Amino acid sequence: MAEKTLLQIDHLKAGYATKAGFVRAVDDVSFSLRRGEFLGIAGESGCGKSTLAYAVMRLLRDNAAIESGRIVFDGTDIAGLDERAMNEYRWTKMAMVFQSAMNALNPVLSIEEQLVDAVLAHRNVSKSEARGIATEMLELVDINADRLSSFPHQLSGGMRQRIMIAMALLLRPDLLIMDEPTTALDVVVQRSILQKIQELRMRLGFSVIFITHDLSLLVEISDSLAIMYAGKICEYGPSRELYAAPEHPYTKGLMSSFPTLTGPITRMGGIEGQAPGLINPPQGCRFAPRCSSAVPLCSDREPALVPTSAGRLCACRLCGGMI
Amino acid sequence: MTKTILELRNVSKHFRLTGIRNIGKTVHAMDDIDLRLCRGESLALVGESGSGKTTTASVIAGMYEKTSGDILLDGQPVRAFRNRAESLAYKKRVQMIFQDPFASLNPTHTIRAIMERPFLIHGLAAGKTALESKLSESLEQVGLSPAAEYLRRFPHELSGGQRQRVNIARTFAVDPEVILADEPTSMLDVSIRIGIMNMMLDLKEKKNVSYLYITHDLAGARYMSTRIAVMYAGMIMEIGPTEEVIANALHPYVKLLKASAPAPQEGKRNDEVRAKGEIPSLVSPPSGCRFHTRCPYAKDVCSKEVPAMRDVGNGHLVRCVLV
Repeated sequence: MAEKTLLQIDHLKAGYATKAGFVRAVDDVSFSLRRGEFLGIAGESGCGKSTLAYAVMRLLRDNAAIESGRIVFDGTDIAGLDERAMNEYRWTKMAMVFQSAMNALNPVLSIEEQLVDAVLAHRNVSKSEARGIATEMLELVDINADRLSSFPHQLSGGMRQRIMIAMALLLRPDLLIMDEPTTALDVVVQRSILQKIQELRMRLGFSVIFITHDLSLLVEISDSLAIMYAGKICEYGPSRELYAAPEHPYTKGLMSSFPTLTGPITRMGGIEGQAPGLINPPQGCRFAPRCSSAVPLCSDREPALVPTSAGRLCACRLCGGMI
Repeated sequence: MTKTILELRNVSKHFRLTGIRNIGKTVHAMDDIDLRLCRGESLALVGESGSGKTTTASVIAGMYEKTSGDILLDGQPVRAFRNRAESLAYKKRVQMIFQDPFASLNPTHTIRAIMERPFLIHGLAAGKTALESKLSESLEQVGLSPAAEYLRRFPHELSGGQRQRVNIARTFAVDPEVILADEPTSMLDVSIRIGIMNMMLDLKEKKNVSYLYITHDLAGARYMSTRIAVMYAGMIMEIGPTEEVIANALHPYVKLLKASAPAPQEGKRNDEVRAKGEIPSLVSPPSGCRFHTRCPYAKDVCSKEVPAMRDVGNGHLVRCVLV
């Protein structure tokens, strides 16, 4: 591959200790991300996509842990780094935009204080220089500099989310992880935020991991796409190809789950049943209990994520004639 | 033409704000709404958050008293209920499905207690055996079978999709004529949404009810309805047959909504969404056309007077002076 790999995840396992037992929300996930690449991760609630993001940022809660696996960021395995060393990475090299921008900003501090704080915490610059960086970044997300003195409650949801993006990009990170950044927003605002992210990515050259449950959104904006189900990646590949010809039955089901604005209105199938719990996941293929094309063998052994064609990976016994 | 079951004539709903600083201020949540719903028809009410679509449903459901205008059910004007009997008689005919399946079922009641209520309150089951058979029938027609298995459970033992099915079963229990469905699938996982939508379409055919299907998703509206009304900032901007409104959107706001919706089948799109900003405050809504502050085509006249609904033929009406 010509482009340089920025992030390489190898056999990552992470989960939560709960009263009912251990929930392995990320189970043996591997993928790599090139510099400047836009990777979309799609999956339903509880499939482990947010846990994956938090694990990469090393921001898991106290009851959660990375069990095994490597997270190689720009040549260094950060899976085992201590907090002090990790702080060299967070925000400066990798930054995150959280799901509810409404709550992620501190309500009692002005936008300026929050932005300047972030710069001062990581860079050895004067306060006025920090303000300069903040102003410049705010303008990049189309927010007038006179908004610096505003408080979060004086801004609309879309503006707050743009400020969150500006904040994440303040120190020009190489990787931006976005966890459902537009879910709480209206379609029109969502569209303008997505356009802004694309524009900034072209300009600043960072890589993006974009996590969402809305697959239809990802197909348009991402270079590659990973579909997660019950803690595992079940299909991975270039997004256009994956959309045009999904191979995994779960991906196929997802594709026939959202109505379209054009073309004939045909009755859509969706997927029967619901995702399994992760304390005792099903034996073999985790999708087998809901899969309409499952054969008995599917529940015996877990299918590996294997190449089916150039650049495409699929974890299904039935793709690529592997029965 | 099929018979009209529900009609709204110039209905408005203004909420007076409370608090010392808000004396004299009102929220214009719903202004000059004209709607006609035929028997057995599904009309989608589409709009972003804050557009007044839920207020419209709540006013029709009798939860809020309208500020002005007329609501007619089967040709008879609906007046404020003077007693419980009047309220019940109306609610037997007009039912509502709420958005949040996690909040709309009492967590301390079993599904049996929840499902018995409509039959008992409206006196629809004479005797224990009749009640029992009605309970199983209602649950089984929404795909919750065996019914006995579900009747003894509590809401927390059901998934979001199953809870929404209980909500729908409860709504259909009284054999209503009009169902106001307030974003019934927006809180559910993508893969189960279609299942709920298909079931609602089947039930509509079977029971010959009319739906006012509220959604923010234009594609979902297309799947569920034969006519679409698009609301913006408390007013209807465009209404007409579904395909007509989506394929030949005339109002700039509807065009914007359409351009913003994800459309993976069209590939990576370059059409810039030109309108800026977000839905205006409804405390002091913009003068004239409520969309003029964001409209890329706005002229002087747009800020001066509220455009009237103009019939462009074929039951397609638009509120824009430029059309």
